[in-house]
Amino acid sequence: MKCNQIRELLPDLAAGLNAVTPETQEHIRACPACAGKLEDIRKTMALLDEWQALEPSPYFDVRLQARLREEAAQLRAGWLHRIRIPALALALSMMIAVGVGLFRGDRSKVPPVRPVALEKLEPGTAVGDLQALDKNHELYADFDVLDDLEVQQDVTANP
Amino acid sequence: MTSIASQAQAETATPLPGLAEGLTDAEVMLRVKVGDESAFEYLVQKYRRAMVNFMYRMSHNAAVSEDLAQEVFLRVYRSRSSYEASAKFTTWLYRVATNLAMNHARDTRQERPENMVSLDEPNTETGTTMDVADGSLTAEEALVRRERLAAIRNKVQALPERQRMAVIMHKYQQMDYRQIADVLKLSESATKSLLFRAYETLRQQLKDFI
Repeated sequence: MKCNQIRELLPDLAAGLNAVTPETQEHIRACPACAGKLEDIRKTMALLDEWQALEPSPYFDVRLQARLREEAAQLRAGWLHRIRIPALALALSMMIAVGVGLFRGDRSKVPPVRPVALEKLEPGTAVGDLQALDKNHELYADFDVLDDLEVQQDVTANP
Repeated sequence: MTSIASQAQAETATPLPGLAEGLTDAEVMLRVKVGDESAFEYLVQKYRRAMVNFMYRMSHNAAVSEDLAQEVFLRVYRSRSSYEASAKFTTWLYRVATNLAMNHARDTRQERPENMVSLDEPNTETGTTMDVADGSLTAEEALVRRERLAAIRNKVQALPERQRMAVIMHKYQQMDYRQIADVLKLSESATKSLLFRAYETLRQQLKDFI
């Protein structure tokens, strides 16, 4: 193996992420330059270890759950918002259709208006008298004749 | 060899009841896909520490790192219905995380660092931290330690974006070349080269502390 091939493996070797093959090991043992590079990278990595990891705060899960709930609520609201206008339009169309249907249905079901049969009413009732007068229209036509009759003088209205 | 999954597994508390043992993360994610909430909780518990740490080293801010880590899990949850177990779960998880971290870095590039207060980073002017001091160190040792820590953070932060992500994944998340290559969508040899250059730069920049 050549030095430039070995050098690209050095970060993984220094981090202990890759098993060292016998060939690589042999090269590093025989090549002071590559051995030096490996040592430098090891020291650099050891220095980088000083940058310690950070523990998630105790509220991490609570906040994540809250964000997930918020997300779910937004999704539901978004879904309702998306279907609201089509649903309203559909409901309105159905109401119009039902209204038109009822109107037409009512018209076809309304029984034809039949002339009210005139019943014979008892004389003395208001309707009966009016009917009697209506029948006596010939008499009214000759009403002027009555004016020509002489009035009997000795008759009083209230004896 | 320590993989990111085994490291995360070691950090995990007892696996949630009802989740069959021996499932891969991809299989657990497929259960999330069909609506198993406990499977999602299992993945959160397994990877939350790794995600917070990754985001912390990318953003240098504890509060932001938690927000970003939560956002990673939210995105995983949102994408559950479209999840395909074609790649390792950790590759997918870290792709989401690196995209978020890059976007955050770009969005906050213009922010003046001196206007940001962090509880766990030393103040650049006073050199003091707001956390409790390590009582086992003398004042001088503590000062040297803080300087060294600030130098590490600054030099890692100063690396080109892909080198920085590769170093953080390799050094702090214990991911191997193959995994890093998959996350960054690079060839394995390009990843080896990227990491070697990154460590070389860090070695030169930090030689005063080595």
